[in-house]
Amino acid sequence: MNSKKEQNTIPDQRAEEILDVIMSYAQLNFSNKVHITGKDDMIDAISAGINMLGEELESYSLSIKEKEHLLREIHHRVKNNMQIISSLLNLLCENQKDQKFLALVNDCQNRITAMSLIHEMLYATSDFRSTNLNEYITSLSKSLYASFSVPGNNITVKTDIDKNVFFDIDKMIPLGLILNEIISNSLKYAFPENNGSLTITLLRGNPGRNYGMKLIVSDDGIGLPEDFDIINKGGLGMQLICLLSEQIGCSTKKESVPGKGLTYTLELD
Amino acid sequence: MEIPRNATIIEVSAYWTWMGEDGIARTKVKPNTAITLKEAIENTEAVKQLRKSVPFPLLVDSVGILSMDKKARDHFSMQNRDTPINAFAVLVNSPISKVIGNFFLGLNRPKVPAKLFTDEQQALNWLKQFLYSST
Repeated sequence: MNSKKEQNTIPDQRAEEILDVIMSYAQLNFSNKVHITGKDDMIDAISAGINMLGEELESYSLSIKEKEHLLREIHHRVKNNMQIISSLLNLLCENQKDQKFLALVNDCQNRITAMSLIHEMLYATSDFRSTNLNEYITSLSKSLYASFSVPGNNITVKTDIDKNVFFDIDKMIPLGLILNEIISNSLKYAFPENNGSLTITLLRGNPGRNYGMKLIVSDDGIGLPEDFDIINKGGLGMQLICLLSEQIGCSTKKESVPGKGLTYTLELD
Repeated sequence: MEIPRNATIIEVSAYWTWMGEDGIARTKVKPNTAITLKEAIENTEAVKQLRKSVPFPLLVDSVGILSMDKKARDHFSMQNRDTPINAFAVLVNSPISKVIGNFFLGLNRPKVPAKLFTDEQQALNWLKQFLYSST
């Protein structure tokens, strides 16, 4: 019984060597290999298996790195192509004096920017699936502010968003487009005197609340006119808000107080 | 697996290779050999020298092998390369050869039918179905 037990005991030195190699593989260091003595015993067999697993792991690790590189390249190209489309729209506007046309093109460019910002953020980070909501909204609101600002205006945009909230690209693009419409509308229509503030706040749902997150975009502008017909006068922006909210399963509520402001509340899962 | 005296043996650094009278090719790894891509290519070149007008099966005796690196395993999996082999059986009668064999078939997935055996006669019986077959 004892001799059988002894035979089955892995000599410490070889066991330690195997452990060292496993540890280095766990740290994605594949330069180490277990020495195979040539005794062709069970420990040699285990060692051969570990060496081969290390080689396969290294190969998969390299393949993942290559795919990450490609993914980064794709996001970069998508963003560049969107910028090219935006530049082409700029060319279209050259020598155009029709303000309605110019405003429509500007809206289109802002929608393109809302999407390209996400691709820009995705290739700039190591995580290619999700983007940081706070960073995104900050960039988006800055870009829209620059797009609509007029010299001497006194409009402020404030954000209060948890820095640890991330959304994947499937949700972030529709959400970005919704926010683009809401923020654009505020900056375009809420402040005829070019004076006021726009606030974007994120509330995280606590246990007991029936929502995951609430994104609140509110301004202290003039609000919607009392007789505002959202269906007939809402335009493409309002349609986009409704359609995209439905797409990401987000309920959107709008509360307007004439002369006091407009608040959009987006309830997200 | 015994090396016959009357057969024409092709010897390379890590293998002895010959064609059996039954039409099944044989290749035997030399004792205590580490197989890298170099040894793998030498072996396949040796097997190609046995080329007949039709594809043929191969019996591999891997007992005595020390290791087989990834490049060699990828090469032996026959993906994207021309080969006269239409099936192969691997004899695994030692702990290392058993691990390498299982690893090879499990992860590298050869493009022709392949199976591990501990008994030579059973391996030959299985290979016979591939004689004079083009698959």
